[in-house]
Amino acid sequence: MNNPSTTSWEDVRRRMDAVHAALEHDVTITPETKKAILKERALALAKERPKEQLAEAHLEIVEFVLASERYGIESSFIREIYPLRDLTPLPGTPPFVLGIINLRGEIISVIDIKKFFDLPEKGITDLNKVIVLRNAEMEFGVLADAVPGARWIAREAIQPPPATFTGLREEYLYGITVERIAILDAVKLLSDPKLIIQEETAITKGSQ
Amino acid sequence: MKFMLNLSTRVKLALAFGVMLAMLLAVAVTAYNGVAKIRESQKRLFEQEFQNALDFAHLLNNENNGRASVLTLLLATNRSDQDYWLKDIHANSRETAEILTNLKDRNQANAALTIELQELETAKEANRETRETQVIPAIKEGNTQRAQELLAGIQQERYVKLRDILERLEKDARKNAFNMVTVSETISRDVVRTFVTFSLVAAVLGIFIVLLLNSSIATPLREVSDVAANIAQGDLSINVAADERRDEVGVLRQNFARMSQSLRATANLAQQISAGDLRVTITPQSEKDVLGNAFAKMVENLRSTTNEITQGVNVLATAASQISTSTAQVAAGAAETATAVTETTTTVEEVKQTAQVSSQKAKFVSESAQRTTQVAQAGKKSVEVSLEGMHRIQSQMQSIAESIVKLSEQSQSIGEIVAVVNDLAEQSNLLAVNAAIEAAKAGEHGKGFGVVAQEIKSLAEQSKQATAQIRGILNDIQKATSTAVMTTEQGSKAVEAGTKLAAEAGDSIRVLADSITEAAQAATQIAASSQQQLVGMDQVAMAMENIKQASHQNVAGIKQTEAAAHNLQELGQRLKRLVDQYKI
Repeated sequence: MNNPSTTSWEDVRRRMDAVHAALEHDVTITPETKKAILKERALALAKERPKEQLAEAHLEIVEFVLASERYGIESSFIREIYPLRDLTPLPGTPPFVLGIINLRGEIISVIDIKKFFDLPEKGITDLNKVIVLRNAEMEFGVLADAVPGARWIAREAIQPPPATFTGLREEYLYGITVERIAILDAVKLLSDPKLIIQEETAITKGSQ
Repeated sequence: MKFMLNLSTRVKLALAFGVMLAMLLAVAVTAYNGVAKIRESQKRLFEQEFQNALDFAHLLNNENNGRASVLTLLLATNRSDQDYWLKDIHANSRETAEILTNLKDRNQANAALTIELQELETAKEANRETRETQVIPAIKEGNTQRAQELLAGIQQERYVKLRDILERLEKDARKNAFNMVTVSETISRDVVRTFVTFSLVAAVLGIFIVLLLNSSIATPLREVSDVAANIAQGDLSINVAADERRDEVGVLRQNFARMSQSLRATANLAQQISAGDLRVTITPQSEKDVLGNAFAKMVENLRSTTNEITQGVNVLATAASQISTSTAQVAAGAAETATAVTETTTTVEEVKQTAQVSSQKAKFVSESAQRTTQVAQAGKKSVEVSLEGMHRIQSQMQSIAESIVKLSEQSQSIGEIVAVVNDLAEQSNLLAVNAAIEAAKAGEHGKGFGVVAQEIKSLAEQSKQATAQIRGILNDIQKATSTAVMTTEQGSKAVEAGTKLAAEAGDSIRVLADSITEAAQAATQIAASSQQQLVGMDQVAMAMENIKQASHQNVAGIKQTEAAAHNLQELGQRLKRLVDQYKI
C-alpha cells in the first residue's frame, strides 16, 4: 500500500510539473502554429472568393435562426444587427410587439415574427439578437434567436415557396434556398399595413 | 458400816469435811485465846513495867542534869549564860514534875509504889525548895561561896538520897519487868502445847476420814476405771460384778455392767457382719443409741452397697468386654490410619512438587508479564504517535479540501472569464456580420472590407469553439474536483475512524497494560503463595510424620488398653467373687 501510493504521488507530481510547464509555454502560441492557422484561413478565404466574383446576380442575405428554423433577409434592408439588451416591454400592445430598445439614442420597437409563424417560444436571453430593418418609410427590429452570419446566394438557387406554405408565411416568404433557408421578403415586411395599423392603433389608442 | 456405805457420796464428803472444819475451828480458837493472853501480858509488860523502869531512869538522868546545870550556873560569869542555865534548870525541873505525875497516875493501883513515890516527891520538893530559895538567889547575888556551901552541903545530901531512891526504884521496876516476861513465856508455852495437842488429834481424824473415803469411793471407782480402760482398749471380756450398794458408785457399777453387756452384744453383731452375714437384725437400745442406730444404718447401707456393687460388677464385666471389642476396632482403625497417613504423605510430597512447579511458572509469568508491560508501553506510545499523525493527516485533509475548493472556485472564475470571452466572440461575430452588411452596402468598394469581416467572423467562430472546449474542460475539472472533495471527505472520515480506532486501540492497550500489570502482580502473589504453600506443605509433611508417630503410639496405647481391659475383666470377676461372700 505504501509503495504504490508513493509511486503514484511521484507520478502526480511529474504530471503537475508537466502541466505547469505547458501552461508557462502555451500562453504564447508558437509562431509555427500561428502560421499554420493563418495559412488555413487564407486558403479558406481563397476558396470563397471566385464564387462571389463570378456570380454577379447574387443576393447577399443575413442568415438567422428562429426556433431551429433557418431564415434569411436581404442584407440591403438591414441597418445593423444588435444584441438584445435593455428590452423595455410596452403595455397595451399586441403580443407580437415585444417592446422597445434604445439603439444609440434611437428608440426602436422590436417584434417577434415567431408569433406570426406560430413557431414555438424559446424564451428571450442575452444571446438573442435584434435585426434592425429599414427602408425609407419604416424602421423596426426583428427578434432572432441566433445570427450565424451573412452569405451570398445565387438568385437562380432561390426557389419559390412550396404550396404547403399558406397564410402569413406564404405572404412574407420570398423563396427557399437549396440549403433550406427561408428568405423573407423584407419589402413586404416593412410595408405591411398590419404592422403599421397596429403601430398606429398602438399609438392612437381608442380609434379602433 | 453398811449404813455408811448407803449414804450418798455428797453426804459422805460433807460429813468428812465438817469434822475436819470443826477440828480446824477448835485449833483456831485455842490459838486465838493463847495469843490474846500473850498479848495482854506483853501489853502490861510494855506499858507499865518497862515504862516505870524508863521513867525512873529518866528521873535519875534529869536529877543529874539539874545538878550539873546548877554547878555550871555557879561557874557562869556573865548574865546571859546565867539566864540560859536558869532557863535550863527550870525546864528540867518542869519535866521532872511531869514524869512524876505520870508515874503517880500509872501506879495508883500499886500501894507500895505510891508510898515510895510520895517519899521521892517530898525529897525532890525539898531539894527544889533549897535551890530556888537559897542557891539561885545566892548565885544571882554573886555569893558563890554561899552557893558552894549549900551545894556541897545540904544539896549534896539531898541529891544522894534522891539518887539512891531512884536507883532502887529503877532496880525494882526492872525486876518486875523481868518477872512479867517470865509469866508471858509460861503462857505462850501453854498455848503451844494446847495447839499441838489439837493439831495431832485433827491429823489423826483426817487420816481416818481419808482412809474411809478411799475405801468407800476411790477403790470401787478405780476398779470401774480399770474395766473402762480395758473397754477403751477394746477388751470386753472383763465383767463388772454388781453389788447392792445404792450410792452413786453402786449405780455406776450397775450401769457399767449393763454397758459392757450391750457392747458385747454389739460386738457379737459386728463379728457376724464381719463374717459377711448381713441378714442380722439390729434393734437399737433407745432412740439415742448412736452406736445401735449407726450399726443398723451401716448394715442397711452395706446391704444396698453390696447390691450396687453386684450391679456395678456386672456393668464392669459388660464394659470390660465392650472395651476389649472397641480396642479391637480401634486397633483396626489405627492400621487404616497408618495406611492413610502414608498415602497422605505421598500426596503431600506430590503437592509440594506441584507447588514448586507452579511457583516457577508464576515467576515465569511474572517476568513475561513485565516484558509484555514494556511492550504495551511501547504500543501505547506508538498509538499516541499514530494518533498525532492521524490528527495531522486530518488537518492536512482539511487543507487539501480547502485547496480543492479554491481550485473549484478558480475554475469557476475561469468559467466566468470564458463566458466573457464567449460574449466577446459573440459580439465579434455580430460585428463581423454588421461589417459584412456595411461592406455589401458599399458595393464593389466594400468587398475587401467584407473579406476582413469574414476573417473576423471566422476568428469569432474559433474563439467560440475554444471557449466551448474550455467549458467542457472546466466541466471535467469541476467533476474531478467534486470527486476529489468527496474522496478527501471520505479520506477525512476514514482518518477520523482511524483516529477513533487508534484511540480505542490505545485504550485497549492501556487496559491490556493494566490487566497485564494486574496479572504480573497476581503472578507475584501466586509465586509468594506457592512459596507459602511449599512452607505449609513442609509443615503438613512434618505434621504427617507426627501423626504417624502418634498413630504408632496409638497402636501401642491400644495394646496397653487391651491388657487393661483384660485386667478389668479379671478384676470384675474377683470383685464378683468378693461380693458373693456377702449373704444378703
